[in-house]
Amino acid sequence: MATAVFHQALGTAQSHQHLQNSGSRLEFGHASLKLISKGFKVDIGLSRRGSYSSWKKKFGLIQASASQTSVVQPVSYPPNNSSDELRKKSSEAALILIRHGESLWNEKNLFTGCVDVPLTKKGVEEAIEAGKRISNIPVDMIYTSALIRAQMTAMLAMTQHRRKKVPIILHNENEQAREWSQIFSEDTKKQSIPVVTASQLNERMYGELQGLNKQETADRFGKEKVHEWRRSYDIPPPNGESLEMCAERAVAYFKDHIEPQLLSGKNVMIAAHGNSLRSIIMYLDKLTSQEVINLELSTGIPMLYILKGGKFIRRGSPAGPTEAGVYAYTRSLALYRQKLDDMLR
Amino acid sequence: MAAGALHRSIRTIQLHGGSNDSASTKEFGNSSLKFISKGFTVDVKFLSDRSHSFSHCKMHVIRAISSHASVVDPILSTSHVTTNFNQNTSIESSLILIRHGESMWNEKNLFTGSVDVPLTKRGIEEAIEAGKRISSIPVNMIYTSALIRAQMTAMLAMTQHRQKKIPIIMHDESIQAKEWSQIFSEETIQQSIPVITAWQLNERMYGKLQGLNKEETVVKYGKEKVHEWRRSFDSPPPNGESLEMCSQRAVAYFKENIEPQLQNGRNIMVAAHGNSLRSIIMYLEKLTSQEVTNLELSTGVPLLYIYKHGEFLKRGSPVGPTEYGVYAYTRNLALYRQKLDEMVQ
Repeated sequence: MATAVFHQALGTAQSHQHLQNSGSRLEFGHASLKLISKGFKVDIGLSRRGSYSSWKKKFGLIQASASQTSVVQPVSYPPNNSSDELRKKSSEAALILIRHGESLWNEKNLFTGCVDVPLTKKGVEEAIEAGKRISNIPVDMIYTSALIRAQMTAMLAMTQHRRKKVPIILHNENEQAREWSQIFSEDTKKQSIPVVTASQLNERMYGELQGLNKQETADRFGKEKVHEWRRSYDIPPPNGESLEMCAERAVAYFKDHIEPQLLSGKNVMIAAHGNSLRSIIMYLDKLTSQEVINLELSTGIPMLYILKGGKFIRRGSPAGPTEAGVYAYTRSLALYRQKLDDMLR
Repeated sequence: MAAGALHRSIRTIQLHGGSNDSASTKEFGNSSLKFISKGFTVDVKFLSDRSHSFSHCKMHVIRAISSHASVVDPILSTSHVTTNFNQNTSIESSLILIRHGESMWNEKNLFTGSVDVPLTKRGIEEAIEAGKRISSIPVNMIYTSALIRAQMTAMLAMTQHRQKKIPIIMHDESIQAKEWSQIFSEETIQQSIPVITAWQLNERMYGKLQGLNKEETVVKYGKEKVHEWRRSFDSPPPNGESLEMCSQRAVAYFKENIEPQLQNGRNIMVAAHGNSLRSIIMYLEKLTSQEVTNLELSTGVPLLYIYKHGEFLKRGSPVGPTEYGVYAYTRNLALYRQKLDEMVQ
């Protein structure tokens, strides 16, 4: 278990800013490093004298995990390897974006924002449908918002996945939550897909409009004002976020946490909301603020991007599992599909 | 909105130990009070010359609390619930216990404990079925554990409920979480059912057995030891909880947080796990430790208790919605059922 914890910690170390670069030796002096990686907390006290040898010892562990379908693939971080070796692993990764389906307030036409409202029966079905569409696309990690409608969408979708790995939600709220959610079998960990929940992926916070219906709102604030809040880029409703503010935190989170995973070859699924996903797409597709305002995301229809050579290539929406289209996305995906077919024969 | 917030905060004062009696004016001097009720943060400043209008306000609010299917009241530590305003009516409230259905590790025969594993397709169906069985029983508040399988069970079950109120998950992990999840329409709040997530309702923590399958465990520790951990009352697995330890925290939570709500006439649903629910049932039915270790709870089959005159009456399991039996549980439940029938006409 300590092994996996450390792997995970290193995975985070990779993406943390203050660990400078991947190539050279790491100087830590006498500082103790706290790596809070999702769900696991590791205190690493490093002293100057001990640094190289203790890092070296830990890297012995990294070399052991080579399996491609392993969970929490350690991002190897040896101080004496060149940075090229890091990139040589598969430089293609799949990114799936799923916007959750109908929520109980959508049905009632109420502004929802960050109020934690669950899915309707229809939203549940949409999630399952979405799952069927991505059932052949590899998923190594899942990110969702802190809201139940996105989390349920992810968990419902994954019940349809053919690979049969088990999503495990990581808990990081406090020491006890971390300890209580520990897994003690290596095999089981390998069959797990970590799920990270992040409020930075929440829907745009709608301030004083949350819970109001559209009529109430037009009455209270005036029709034009409301239209401005809903459709502009940078005008927030009272005590709420503008789309721009939402984009800031969502894209920052994506760049800091998700993009490094993709760069290291992990396939990622993000289950979130209209505005947080639009923000991310704005970044992926390099849209202008004008373009993003006009971007509408269908609910429950997953979108696929391939990260290759540092670029995000949009692959549209995976068609249903019986359609030929989904196989043709990339060679790697086609091979993955084949493996699943063989596995399940 | 200020009025609503004040009403809510006043009710908080009413229920808090801090106010001695309900009738007289209160002295608060110039202090400001912060009421953190789940999802709402209200800063209420009181000046002593306002005490008359304050108590006037308060009296008005108390008369308003009479509806059986009432609004989202602030959820508080109600250890000093004043009894004078609810003993005149014969308070009867229903308590529904639902154990979640099949999880992905159940399917794989792995010890799960507090690892956050989601439901399988079958678990989802079980939750929906459970929902149908309780679709005519009033629910004013929902408590779940901190694990997704229990939360999903509750949310899926409620998609089947005939009343049109909407479960809203309360967030109070941080100030931001509280602020972001605020609702600004009184009407909407009244149509909401607060959902509280609590780790104290989590499954028994299985320590070093979490993630192991039964063979692995027997090989590692020996058949007898494993049997002892699984079936005894007070023998914990390594680094884990015994059933006794689990009961301690689950029952304490129930007594401090859930029972007072029942005493106030609120109908409660608890969606949790085998061991945390067994612990609560041990308390409700005054079972011995021998009896509780032999108690098996079916998954996805809700259990109904009626709380009346400080006692819990076991009402078994509500049958399917088409069966006559469910109407007959108590007169109040029959009336509630009737209201729903009329509403839907």
